[in-house]
Amino acid sequence: MSAKIDFSKISFLVVDGDKISAQVVFDTLSYLGATDVQRVGKPEEAFRILRTRQIDVIITEWRLRGMDGLEFLDSLRNSTSSPNRFVPVIMLTAHSEQQYVTTARDLGITEFLAKPFNAKALYSRLISVITRPRHFINTSTYFGPDRRRRQTPFDGPDRRESSTRN
Amino acid sequence: MNEQKPPKVQIIPPRTELKQRAVNFTKGFDVELAPEQLEELEKVVQRSSDSFVRSIGHDLAETRQLVIAAIGNPDLRGTAIEKSADLAYSTKALGGTFDYPLMTQIAKSLEIFLAHRTTASRRQLMVTQLHIDAIYVILASRVTGFGSSIEQATTVALAKLASRYAEPRE
Repeated sequence: MSAKIDFSKISFLVVDGDKISAQVVFDTLSYLGATDVQRVGKPEEAFRILRTRQIDVIITEWRLRGMDGLEFLDSLRNSTSSPNRFVPVIMLTAHSEQQYVTTARDLGITEFLAKPFNAKALYSRLISVITRPRHFINTSTYFGPDRRRRQTPFDGPDRRESSTRN
Repeated sequence: MNEQKPPKVQIIPPRTELKQRAVNFTKGFDVELAPEQLEELEKVVQRSSDSFVRSIGHDLAETRQLVIAAIGNPDLRGTAIEKSADLAYSTKALGGTFDYPLMTQIAKSLEIFLAHRTTASRRQLMVTQLHIDAIYVILASRVTGFGSSIEQATTVALAKLASRYAEPRE
C-alpha cells in the first residue's frame, strides 16, 4: 500500500499579486483536496493572517508590491515578531536565475519553484515540504531549513561537531 | 596563535506534525502520482489558460498604447517603463505554463532590456514596443510551442536589437 497525502488536513496561504498565477495554484490545491487555501496579494496581508491563525504551508511569489517576497521571507525567518519562524515556504517565481535561487536559499526558503511551472513540479515541491521536513539550522548568520540536502562524502572539519542540539 | 573558534550552530529537529497529520494510507493522493493522475492535474492548471490569454491580451494592448504615447511624451516614460517591466515579468512567468514558451522567451528578452531602468530614450521605447508587438502576434495567432524557424529568428533578432540599444541605462 502506498502512502497518501490528505490535503484537506493542511492549511495553505498563497501570496501572489498576479491573479492568474494565484488562481492556478488555488485550482491545483483545490483539485488535490485542500479546503483551507487563502490568497493574498501582499505580505502585509499575509502577516495579518499568520498572526491570527495557523498556516501549514506558504506559497509566495518573489515579485510583490511593497515588501517583496524575499523581505517577507526574511521577516518570517528572522524577525523577533515573526508569527511562525518554522513554516515551510515555497518560493514560486520567474526570477529563476542561479543567483536568485542562492539568495532565497540563504534566507531560509524551503523549496524553490521556477515559473513557468507545470503541475508535476508544483506537486513535487508540495510533497517535499509535507513528507520530508528538514532540520532547522540556527547560527548567527542563518536561520532556516538545513541547506545540506545531499549526503556527499566530506573529509574536512565538521563545523557542526560542537554544536548544541535541541 | 590565532585559533578560530568554530561557529555556534544550533540544530533543531524537523517538525513532523504536518507529516503526521497529512500522510496516511487511506485518503488523498499518492505521494508518487501515476502518469494519468499527473495528466489530470496538468489539465487543472490548463483551466486558467483562457483567463491568461484574456488578461495578457488586455495588458498588452494597454501597455502598447502607453509606450507609443511615451515615445512622443517624455513625461510618460517612467510609467511606460514600469508597466512594460510588469508585463514582461508576468508574461515570462506564465507563458510557458500555458504552452506559450516563445512568449516567455521574448518576455525574458524584454525583462533583461528593461532591468534597472527608470526611464528610456525614444529608440529604447521603440525596442520595447517591438517586443510587445511580437508577444501580441504570438498570442493573436495562438503560436504554441517554440514556433517555426521564422519565430525563432524573430526572437534572436529582438534579443540582438535589445542588446544594441541597451545603453544608456538610467
